[in-house]
Amino acid sequence: MDPSPLPYYPVNEFGPLMKGLVIGGVGILHVFLAQFAIGGGMLLYYFERLAQRGVPDARRFVDGYFRVLVLVSFVLGALTGVAMWFTTIQVGARTIGLMIDEFHWLWATEWVWFAIEITAGYAFFRFGPRLGDVARRRLLATYAFASWMSLFWINGILSWQLTPGRWLDGAGMWAGFFNPSYWPSLLFRTAVAATLAALVACLVINTMAIDRERKAALIRRASWFTLPIAALPVLGAWFVAVIPADSRQWLLGGSVAMTMFVGIAAAASFLIGAYVVVGLVLRRLYINGATATMLLVLAFGATAAGEFVREGARKPYTVRGVLYSTSITPAEVAALRATGVTTHDPYPLRDDARYANAQLRRGAKVHRALCDACHTMDGTNGIVHLTRAWTDDQLRLNVAKLQRTKAFMPPFAGNAEDVEAIVQLVRWEAAGAPPQWPVSDDPRTLAQVATWLDEAGTEPVAPPVPRPGTRPGAPPGPPQTAQQGAPARGAP
Amino acid sequence: MWPFSGGMPSVWLALYLVTLAVHLALIGFVVAGTGHALVHAVRGTDDRVAERTRDLLPFLLGLGITAGVAPLLFLQLLYQRPFYTANLLLGPRWGAVVPALIAGFYALYLAKAAGRRARRLALGVALACFGFVAWSWSELHLLLQDEPAWAAMYAAGDRLYANASVVPRVVLWLGVMITAYATIAVWGARRVDRRRLAGLALAGRLLGAAAVGLLVADGVSVHPAAHGWAIVLAGLLAAELAGWLATWRRPDGRGPHLATAAGALGLVATMVVREAPRLAILEPPRALAAEASGFPVFVLTAVLGVLVITQIVRTIRAVERDVN
Repeated sequence: MDPSPLPYYPVNEFGPLMKGLVIGGVGILHVFLAQFAIGGGMLLYYFERLAQRGVPDARRFVDGYFRVLVLVSFVLGALTGVAMWFTTIQVGARTIGLMIDEFHWLWATEWVWFAIEITAGYAFFRFGPRLGDVARRRLLATYAFASWMSLFWINGILSWQLTPGRWLDGAGMWAGFFNPSYWPSLLFRTAVAATLAALVACLVINTMAIDRERKAALIRRASWFTLPIAALPVLGAWFVAVIPADSRQWLLGGSVAMTMFVGIAAAASFLIGAYVVVGLVLRRLYINGATATMLLVLAFGATAAGEFVREGARKPYTVRGVLYSTSITPAEVAALRATGVTTHDPYPLRDDARYANAQLRRGAKVHRALCDACHTMDGTNGIVHLTRAWTDDQLRLNVAKLQRTKAFMPPFAGNAEDVEAIVQLVRWEAAGAPPQWPVSDDPRTLAQVATWLDEAGTEPVAPPVPRPGTRPGAPPGPPQTAQQGAPARGAP
Repeated sequence: MWPFSGGMPSVWLALYLVTLAVHLALIGFVVAGTGHALVHAVRGTDDRVAERTRDLLPFLLGLGITAGVAPLLFLQLLYQRPFYTANLLLGPRWGAVVPALIAGFYALYLAKAAGRRARRLALGVALACFGFVAWSWSELHLLLQDEPAWAAMYAAGDRLYANASVVPRVVLWLGVMITAYATIAVWGARRVDRRRLAGLALAGRLLGAAAVGLLVADGVSVHPAAHGWAIVLAGLLAAELAGWLATWRRPDGRGPHLATAAGALGLVATMVVREAPRLAILEPPRALAAEASGFPVFVLTAVLGVLVITQIVRTIRAVERDVN
């Protein structure tokens, strides 16, 4: 047998949840907490300076706020970071592998900053009350700077996924790191971090056992940290301007779901911004704990919608121009058109006996390899529901010309038999998975599907595609080890 | 020097082993320390070492988890395909290590603040969570080396990798952790407590030796390429033993210095011996990874990080000196 065109990994399904929801759930929580920690460091340094200038209650606030920071962010924030790695492996092992391969030294650099942040943070938490002014300021400055540096490094890796920029032309890792969306992303996240920290501060201040006047005085100070939210429209527009044209179109009306999430993120941010800038900064209103909580919930919603947009804008790629959302490279698509996507898959089906015939089993493997990353069969974003109204030939045509059916879908990475197998599987599932099901092997049908596949080609609709030979290191193919007898598949 | 003789992958391997040793020392303190604190909580005895340990546990768990991120990074460079495959095969059960750690983390905070009864419960929950994580890592370590089992395990939908070596390996690491705990705890301990901690360290080594015996009986042996390291390890363990015996006889003497130095080096040697069988499945470096830029930036940042963290530690020690 010819060597496998791609590495295969075992694929897990998450019931009715599509994988995007799984990684999204963990990711949004992590991003929210991490940004809170970053903004929290800056805000605490500012309040420590106030305390040392004699502002009443500022010292007490710093120590109380830090307790929240440690209990929430240091524990949940740090561990959801680990969870992000594990979840990403579950959802797209090849994607995280590619990111690690290219950026491991920068990831290690980010880790050093994270280690400094944690050490400084714990040192302050534990010994802060016994430290002198200079030592307190130094520790908080170290903590704040290290946590922001952690963002500085990770932001380059994440923004590279959507806008690899000149990296695609072989300009090297630094060109990929300082990519077109690096600076708008970094500044946007920094502004969000400051705002989140201020909102949490309002919440913490409301729990302090001091009278309302004194709380109001602290809140007024904290409210200055909400001001960067006023820059979000400009930074957001900058980000949208530098992302690929097709991604921008989906955000601005081309995809209803994406546009809706852009709207949710913008509206929630606007509401928060209007309240904090007009209410807190200009009119110096008091904000109670309930309102602060509501604004934080709104901010969480904005973060969730924003992260959804950021992730969704990459489609049909997980790394723009290099790796599709199916964890298959553009070059591998062409190879799989010849071999079929199931030929080298070493992993049997978990529910093999459930299927009425071998073609449906093949269809299940095709679904696992090519659809499972973004779709379930009949749950969230279920294929059965999406295609129920289509005729059989329409279904064949739309699958064969997948990238033309929806521009944010990758080209179909299999042959005509694979298309027919997934078509039959979808119809069989829609019919309630009966025990008997005819095999569809009419040569004319397969010839028609093959024609459609040829017409669609293996290129995505959305430019850019990587220019062959310009990338020094294409994503990892199957490693040539002694264990390669049964190559593993590049997941979801 | 074997196994560090092959360009950039050797750098990854060295960093992986060293950072893993640091991670294990810290986590060892947490796991064995939680057990120690739990024993005293159940007995209802007031013990200064257990009390101090309980106070330090959340802090050291935070450091331990942070330290664990680095080996996790290099592991993905060295064994990407088998590591990811094992992750995927164990699936959600493997992912459960994160909620287990979160639960354990909060339980340790609770144990600091709670009364006696709740403290027992909190420490018990934390220990159970950490035990689950230790078990899962041992399972993953063995599964990623067992490629012939992957397809059948996937087809069966098994989430448990039943391998006879898992239990003795967990026991072996438990022994290592007990000794690591005693090694760290001895530095803040009073004279009378140092003797007890020396006894605990030796008990940890005995437990480890028993587990090694079980592994040998099961057919596990030191990889031929690692014989040199095994001899070095034996020498270091002998030196460590001497250090603990010296601590037992003269708690105020230099015993802890010898035990700590030999124990720390021994932990690194242990990592190499442990890694040796797995080196057979070491993947050839992928072009993208081998050519990746950024190493100088990492080195400079690492040096800066060491300096900053050293300065933080000095600041804290100054505070502690003032308090004492």
